Amino acid sequence: MQQRRTIDQIHTNRVLLNGQLDTPKWWAPTVIVLGIIVAIGFFLIGIMVNKGLGVTGLSRPVYWGLFITTFVFWVGISHAGIMISAILRLSQAEWRRPVTRAAELLTVFSLLTALLFPLMHAGRPWRIIYFILPYDFARGIMPNVRSPLIWDPVAISTYLTGSTLFLYIALLPDLGNLRDRTTGWQNALYTILALGWRGNPRQWKLQTVGGILLSALMLPIFVSVHSIVSWDFAVTPAVEGWHSTIFAPYFVIGAVHSGVSAVVTMMALMRWLWKWEDFIRPEHFDALARLLIVVATGWLAFTFLELLFAVYGLDAPELELRDMQIFQWPWNLLFVTFLFTGYIIPVGMWLQKSVRNNIALMFWSSLFVNIGMWLERFMIIVPGLARKTPFVYTWEAYRPSGLEWFILFWSLAWVTFLMLLFSRFFPLVPLFEQKESQTFGDSIKIGRVRVPAIVREAD
Amino acid sequence: MASEAVHSGAHSGVHAEAHEEAHHELPARVEPDVTTSELIATTEANATGVRNWMWILGALTLVGIVVAFVKVLIEWSDQDEWGYTAAMVAFLFSAFGGAPLVAIAGTLAKGNWVRPIARFAALCSLVSIICTIWMIPLILNLPMLVVDGARRRSIWFEGPDVSPHIWALVAMITLIISALGLIYAYAIPDFAAMRDHSTGWKQRFGAWLARGWIGTTVQWRTMRMRIGMMGTLYFFTFVFVHFIISTDFAMSLVPGWRDAIFPMYHAISSIQAGLAVTVIGLWAARKYLGLEKYLHLDQFWSIGRLMFAFTLLWGYFFISAFIVFWYGRSGSDQMWIDYLILGPYFWVFILAMLFIWFTPWWWLIWNRVRRSYNGTAIGAGLILLGVFLDRVRLYVAAWTVPEDRIHERFLTEYPSTVYPDVMDIFIMVGALAGSILLILAATRVLPILSIWDVQQFNLLYRPVEYMKTKVSLIGKPD
Repeated sequence: MQQRRTIDQIHTNRVLLNGQLDTPKWWAPTVIVLGIIVAIGFFLIGIMVNKGLGVTGLSRPVYWGLFITTFVFWVGISHAGIMISAILRLSQAEWRRPVTRAAELLTVFSLLTALLFPLMHAGRPWRIIYFILPYDFARGIMPNVRSPLIWDPVAISTYLTGSTLFLYIALLPDLGNLRDRTTGWQNALYTILALGWRGNPRQWKLQTVGGILLSALMLPIFVSVHSIVSWDFAVTPAVEGWHSTIFAPYFVIGAVHSGVSAVVTMMALMRWLWKWEDFIRPEHFDALARLLIVVATGWLAFTFLELLFAVYGLDAPELELRDMQIFQWPWNLLFVTFLFTGYIIPVGMWLQKSVRNNIALMFWSSLFVNIGMWLERFMIIVPGLARKTPFVYTWEAYRPSGLEWFILFWSLAWVTFLMLLFSRFFPLVPLFEQKESQTFGDSIKIGRVRVPAIVREAD
Repeated sequence: MASEAVHSGAHSGVHAEAHEEAHHELPARVEPDVTTSELIATTEANATGVRNWMWILGALTLVGIVVAFVKVLIEWSDQDEWGYTAAMVAFLFSAFGGAPLVAIAGTLAKGNWVRPIARFAALCSLVSIICTIWMIPLILNLPMLVVDGARRRSIWFEGPDVSPHIWALVAMITLIISALGLIYAYAIPDFAAMRDHSTGWKQRFGAWLARGWIGTTVQWRTMRMRIGMMGTLYFFTFVFVHFIISTDFAMSLVPGWRDAIFPMYHAISSIQAGLAVTVIGLWAARKYLGLEKYLHLDQFWSIGRLMFAFTLLWGYFFISAFIVFWYGRSGSDQMWIDYLILGPYFWVFILAMLFIWFTPWWWLIWNRVRRSYNGTAIGAGLILLGVFLDRVRLYVAAWTVPEDRIHERFLTEYPSTVYPDVMDIFIMVGALAGSILLILAATRVLPILSIWDVQQFNLLYRPVEYMKTKVSLIGKPD
């Protein structure tokens, strides 16, 4: 799997800084088109705030719909960064090196996007403040700090802060590099951001220790974030299909599945758009696909347990819900699509080595996963609410409006827009990681064969 | 990068070991011939001491079996009398069944550090034989799916009446087959070494099992493929057995206990215990078989980190279930908390939490502890105690629910605490002794460390000097 390639440092600098020092021609038109979509999206959000949630399809009994599904989806995507960066850094996986920055970036931007959806969903976003401040001082109406709905913003904010720090610390050596290669206002900007980086042994030591400590600190936060999101649902016994003990790890592993797939999508785009064939190589896709097979199979096991133990109790409402979810139109179509796009098609493809090393096929299969994972969240959230229950006289009422669909696609454009803006000023592949991999790469002679080898420090 | 080998075998003896613990010196390389002869010699090493231990363990096993027969004769129909046996079987399967995953995962991930320990970890899977034997009375005592004319809740829904019984047996037999297959797949080159370096029956035995192994490229490739296949089979069977044991032998016996995470919780704590068993086995091998040269801090340090990670994971899986029941507050949610936590086994639960999670967490969190042989072994001991107590809490509670209440929506009156009687203690000690005896007996035939794995570890590893420091150079062949 190790396709060793010797790349000198000058070539690394020139190619990996081509986004900042020599902006590609496609960049400006793409950013403008995305900017227009983003502006329209914000305009529509403004209309929704002005007119109220009546412009969406939300109504009783389905009060959580596309916005909450998309919120969960983006929180899931945000798990890419820590999975790839922190876990692979701690386990010293060499193939992580070109992937880490993009993954961390995806974490930050998808979290920023995720945070917007509960705000939109609130209808009157300013009232979100009552989540953390008393509603009425005089009457002593306090927020319920025992509610996962309170923990959610706390966990996500902590995760966002930590991820941003993580990204920034890993960016320092590259900022120093950019500072030394730019002039004018860019030089001033990079000088401030580089925090005096000179690359002396003490700074390297601090940067490495900081990265490792943050990796270790971020892991529990990473797990807690999606667990808390899952508990938004799981602690509600009133809605069938939600009250399951498996939800926390099930959401976390699903998030890793969708997040790592999103990283694959992004890496393929980076390789094509910036022509980084020397750095993002088939071996990296191969390694990610192998990881994804394991993660996806774990996720499938959790899906199976969730379904099995839902019907294990033989409670009539739960059985009716599952019957509706799996066998009744149009839910059955969504269920089958979710299963095929989330697992059967992509994993079936990844089992072939030729697919794992084919970047176009990896790109499409990773897109399939995220279609499936979005549907999974939709299938968890909506059917339980849409089913007719005793004393409820409206049901099956939810049909997402055009505005909701547009905002879903707007969120994709928004994240891409932010990524492209970032790429104009900062390298998407960490230069120092590349150089370090060159330094750490070696070979040893065993008999008549030279075997690729890697340097490991004693402690 | 220029690489220059550091002198091998520079340090030896107690002084070197203390020095290694303090500064994590890089392990010295051992010459291939020395490795082969020394590791083959371990099958005879400390022969008197090991033989004495085998006699003691054999006697305890025999007593356990005799007592179990007596128990069958006098307490056969009392399901609640078999709770401790169920807990012991669940514990043994959890602890020893989880150990081979260390070898499988490490081998599939091409981790060099795992090579010297893969054999011992794989040998632990032999205990599935003991578990299957001890499961027979449990399977026969398990209630049918139809009780008093009505079907009880189970994962088999409308399946035949004896589904849990049949599937438990099928799962365990598949586990034994995959365990033996895994051990054999790992051991072929060592059987060849036995053929070439031993005498007498061992030489004949080695020649028979080596199946003409001479180490050609094709043979090595086939062997790796076999290990991958048997490892995958073992892993899936392992997960399936956990699923069966945790649901059919615990959850479905308690009315109202519906816990989707429980099979995974069971499997996670099993891997945690499997890591602990591996550490204790290696610690003993180092101490009593003189294998200091082959078992380094790297192995203990790496497993220590994994144990720490799984300790935290155990806490996460527990809290994931607890928080949902705590907030749910429905009758069955409340029953789970009241019966399995606050109820008759409250103190067992507290002790289990303490040993399986809290103490190892605050013990293994320290790098200094993880980087010491004794520190890691103490952490492992605590975890094993915790897992045993946790199994007692779950299985004894499940097996003491009277069969005539199995159709209740959820348990409303909780059976009182059942303490182990003398027979239970003999049975548990016997089962544990039998498990250790089986592994010890296997190490009299096969070296406790795989010769070829240790050779490969040495081939792929070079201590080198890099600028002013010493680092390891690890080969990563395809």
